[in-house]
Amino acid sequence: MTYLHRFVVKVAGESGMGINSVGEVLAKALKNVGMFVFGYREYPSLIKGGYSCYQLDISDTKINASSSECDVLLSFSRVSLHAYLNTVREGGSVIHSVIQVRFTPEEEKIIADRRLTVVYLPAREMAITIGGNKIMENTVMLGAIWQVLDLDLEELKSMITEQFAKKPEVIPGNINCLEAGYTFKLEGVSKSQLDLRKTENFTDDYLLTGNHAIALGAVAGGVRAYYAYPMTPSSSILSYLADISHETGMLVKQIEDEISVANMAVGSMFAGARTLIGTAGGGFDLMTETVSLSGITETPFMCILAQRPGPATGLPTWTSSSDLNIAVYAGHGEYTRLVLAASDIESCFILTQVGLNMAEKYQIPVILLTEKQIAESIFQVNRMPDPIPIERHILSNDDAKKMKSEDRFAITETGISPRWLPGQSEAVYTANSDEHLPDGTLTEEADTAWASYNKRLRKEKTLLEELPEPIVFGDPNADISFVGWGSVKNTMLDVMACLSEFTDKKISYLHYEYLYPVKTKVLKEYAKKAKRLVLVENNATGQLGQIVTAKTEIPFWEKVLKCDGRPFFVEDIVNFILGGSSNAV
Amino acid sequence: MPCNTCVTATSQPTQMKDFASANIFTWCTNCGNYGINAAVRRALVELDIKPCETITCFDIGCNGNGADKIGGYTFHGLHGRVIPAACGAALANTETKVIAFGGDGGTLGEGVGHLVHGVRGNYNVTFILHNNLNYGLTKGQASPTTKKNMKMDSSPDGPTSEALHPVRFVLALESTFVARTFSGDVKHMTKVFVEAIKHPGFSFVEVFQSCPTYNKQTPHEWYQQRVFDVSTVSDYDPSNRARAFEIAEDIENKIAIGVLYKDKNSVPQSARQQNRAKLNTQLVEETRQYPIDTLLKAFR
Repeated sequence: MTYLHRFVVKVAGESGMGINSVGEVLAKALKNVGMFVFGYREYPSLIKGGYSCYQLDISDTKINASSSECDVLLSFSRVSLHAYLNTVREGGSVIHSVIQVRFTPEEEKIIADRRLTVVYLPAREMAITIGGNKIMENTVMLGAIWQVLDLDLEELKSMITEQFAKKPEVIPGNINCLEAGYTFKLEGVSKSQLDLRKTENFTDDYLLTGNHAIALGAVAGGVRAYYAYPMTPSSSILSYLADISHETGMLVKQIEDEISVANMAVGSMFAGARTLIGTAGGGFDLMTETVSLSGITETPFMCILAQRPGPATGLPTWTSSSDLNIAVYAGHGEYTRLVLAASDIESCFILTQVGLNMAEKYQIPVILLTEKQIAESIFQVNRMPDPIPIERHILSNDDAKKMKSEDRFAITETGISPRWLPGQSEAVYTANSDEHLPDGTLTEEADTAWASYNKRLRKEKTLLEELPEPIVFGDPNADISFVGWGSVKNTMLDVMACLSEFTDKKISYLHYEYLYPVKTKVLKEYAKKAKRLVLVENNATGQLGQIVTAKTEIPFWEKVLKCDGRPFFVEDIVNFILGGSSNAV
Repeated sequence: MPCNTCVTATSQPTQMKDFASANIFTWCTNCGNYGINAAVRRALVELDIKPCETITCFDIGCNGNGADKIGGYTFHGLHGRVIPAACGAALANTETKVIAFGGDGGTLGEGVGHLVHGVRGNYNVTFILHNNLNYGLTKGQASPTTKKNMKMDSSPDGPTSEALHPVRFVLALESTFVARTFSGDVKHMTKVFVEAIKHPGFSFVEVFQSCPTYNKQTPHEWYQQRVFDVSTVSDYDPSNRARAFEIAEDIENKIAIGVLYKDKNSVPQSARQQNRAKLNTQLVEETRQYPIDTLLKAFR
């Protein structure tokens, strides 16, 4: 019997042991045989040592979330073996290459109670004797897990051959190691009960992370400058855009700090180059004054805010959704902004482009929230959505020529004024961080200051009319009606897909993608019909709930919250549905 | 977007009035900012640069109150942050002349890191440091260049930190253009600004500026009596950084002004992007939908 239609493999070891490459090869091989995978990484904030894991949830249907428990733990190191033993599901197996393991009495009890099978696989010795190099230990382990998955080795062999195409001398050793692991007698290890051979449905999907999708969204969205300071979990946007910069011609530059990043973005956008920046919470804190600058100068600004737990350094390599408040409230003064939240590959790709269009149309700061769980996890998708048309809302040269300076920040009903770029017209203007008249001239007069301030705030109303309402998934007659945002969606949809496996209850889920300004019509209807309305957020205080309650007076009596750096695993939601309690703060 | 409307429309040489602003100056009588504003306009006229081809960027402070008192496109940013904003603008469109202004407080206090990296990056920006040895707009507090014997608001016994020497600091940063002038001499400032604007890369110009309200110690006359232009020194070689350090050292008695250091082989940041070497377009004109199909293949 499989749990929620998935088989879960956790590859664990020390940082720097090549855990990720084992995970990646495995993910790709499984995808190539027609399976669906979701790859989740846990790792400490250090380069060598500690313990980390690459967990693959495997299914015969599309999945986008992780389990907290695994069916097989594949462990390369003593520390990781002890650290992750407790995550193996009842009846599961542990395959490890650790010499002379001694379990504590508590661990022995876990092994007995859960009827775990523990097998020692001398992978390192086998790698040396068979492959001639201890680094082929990974390949032996890969062969072993392929045996547990009960799959044909040919696929993995051809992948290994392809992977080492540039180093053909290591191919025979690796193939031999693969076979040795595949044929090693894994006494008592139960094989996957999933039917993993659905090759007739093979579609050659893509495997990519949320950060890849954001970067591809930037390319498709015509971004020509990307500035960033490295900060987990946003850094791989910077490194990937830099890697492909010779193909795209995009100016990709690592800058000395986030304050510079934000101000360079404002400078580039003022001059007219479509610019994107990315950071995590701490870096965004440094940018907040510049968010406010974008607000008053009406310079388009777009920042990817990849969340991890705070405060301060917090849990640097773990996940969280606790930065909604800074996205919504960052920066002094009052002005219009747009806050978006991605959840998966499609939304990362599309919302990046939407955000850029909105930033330029409304001449406002736009913040796109992601989470480590989205930014760095490996998603399998069949195709990328079509890119959306680029809308810059910049006047043509002919129209710009007709403008007067005072048209640039003209007081309008919608709050939006015509925008032309420096160099386009003789009608020059000042983008002024001081309160100003419609041509940018400083003013301290009450009536003109009031007019400009309110003009900028009026954009919110115009924007709100254009924004889509949240999306509702699931049964309209649900017993439990969840509300959430971000990666919560992925867990909800995965659970929803197998709901009948464990309960007769019906559930629904309302998902916010356009977070702020907040749309409330659909939510109000949803809440009215709900038998139980439950807020689900990966933070401690229910930040979306507070915003929504303030706007609608709809209270959330039940909250499922989590703030330990881990994402919502499918079990978290399953247990709640089965009668677990909420944990409102 | 290059200026293809107004440049052709006005074939007349640029004149001072083209850079004039209808807004009334709000600086104190005898403030050095008047002279700097005039010299910048003169330099732009001398170089025949059109207002629509310029982006002037202003920091916060008394200098920043000049943001709407000069022609051309202007940007008024945050305290200490004008350098990155100007650098961003310069990268976006290399055909635009970007000139940035900041005071000694914003530039050497709050934003000193930006100065370091603006210089290192050699962005094609002319940066003019208004150094009046104090925070004027917040009413006379000590700045990083205030001398230790100057009693200031909030430092009634004088500052307890050492005064920074801006030129020495910037010379040490692998700068490609370092100059100095003073706000009492519009002609000299104009000459220096022209050279700075012509330089491809980050041109750092320190202007010793009078502050008649809060700095009684070094008015224009004080500088007038002490300055000499390095071009009057017969063997002065502005490509010799060590010599520049030496001659720029004294800021009390014999104060060297003019172009102190210049690297003739300066390569600006925009020309350092290897992936863009074959592109002869500007970032501002390149936005379109770029295909991702080829890139996606790597994820199969």
